[in-house]
Amino acid sequence: MKLIILGLITGILFGFLLQKARVIRYDKQLGALRLMDMTIVKFMLSAVMVSMVGVYILHDLGLVELSIKTTILGANIVGGILFGIGWGMLGYCPGTSLGAIGEGRLDALWGILGMIFGAGVFAEFYPALKNTVYTWGDFGKITLPQALGINHWIVIVLFIIFGILLFRWFEKKGL
Amino acid sequence: MHSDKAWSPYLAGGLSGLVSILSVWIAGQYFGASTTFVRIAGMIESVFTPERVAQLEYFVRVAPRVDWQWMFVTGILVGSFIAAWTSGTFKKQWVPDMWNSKFGHTPVKRGFMAFFGGAIAMFGARMADG
Repeated sequence: MKLIILGLITGILFGFLLQKARVIRYDKQLGALRLMDMTIVKFMLSAVMVSMVGVYILHDLGLVELSIKTTILGANIVGGILFGIGWGMLGYCPGTSLGAIGEGRLDALWGILGMIFGAGVFAEFYPALKNTVYTWGDFGKITLPQALGINHWIVIVLFIIFGILLFRWFEKKGL
Repeated sequence: MHSDKAWSPYLAGGLSGLVSILSVWIAGQYFGASTTFVRIAGMIESVFTPERVAQLEYFVRVAPRVDWQWMFVTGILVGSFIAAWTSGTFKKQWVPDMWNSKFGHTPVKRGFMAFFGGAIAMFGARMADG
C-alpha cells in the first residue's frame, strides 16, 4: 500500500516537471527525431547525469541496489529499431503519452490504445521470441564499468564531461 | 496568475534526476513505464479470457495487477494536468501542430498513425526490455 502511494506521488512530481519543460509534446519529440530541437535530449541527459551520481553514491554506501537489465544484442537491437520506428509514428513515449493526455493532447489516447494492443501482441509472440532474438548475443547483466574493467566513477565523470560538451554545442547551434 | 513560460530543460531534467534518486532510495523503485502497458493488456484480456491469461507465460511473469509503476504512470497524467492547468497551457487538441502544418487537420489519419505507431513501439520496447 505504501509503495502504491509513493508511486503516485513520484509520478505526479515527474509529470509536473515533464510538462513544465514542455518535453511531452509531439512537436518536441519529433523535433528531436528530426534533429531540429534538442530540448528532450537536454532534459533526459540532465536527469541521467544527476541520477547516476546520486544512485552510485547511495550504492557505494550500501543503501540501494542497482537494477541492471540484461544485455542481449538480438533483442536490444531489433527491439530498439522497432521502438524507434513506432516512436517516430506516434510521437510520444510510453510514459509521456500519459502526460500528453494530462495537457490535453488527446491524440495520445490512440497511441495508448495502440501500446496496450502492442503489449498484448508481444505476450503472444514471447514464446517464439525466447528461442530466437533472446538467444542472439546474450551477455547477461553487465554494466559499462564491468565490461571496461574500470571503476564506475571514471565512467560517470567521462559521461558528465561528454554531456556538458554536448550541451554547449547544442546551445551554440541554437538546437 | 498564469505564466506559460517553459522551465529550462536542464533544470527540470536535473530535478527529475533528484526525484528518481529519492525514488530509488525511499521506495527502491527505478523509473519505467512500458511494463505497465503489459499489465493493463493482461487486465483487459482477463475480462474476456481469464484462463488464457493465467496460462500465457508472459502474463505470468508480468502479472495483471496494480503496482508501484502502474501508479507512477497514472501520476504522470495527474502531474502533467496540474502543471498544464495552473500555467494555462492545457490545450485540447486531436492533431499536433507539427502534424497539422505537414498533413493538415486530419484527425483520423493521425489516430491511425498514433495507434499503429504505439503498437510497434510497445512491441519493440518489450522486446528490448526498456
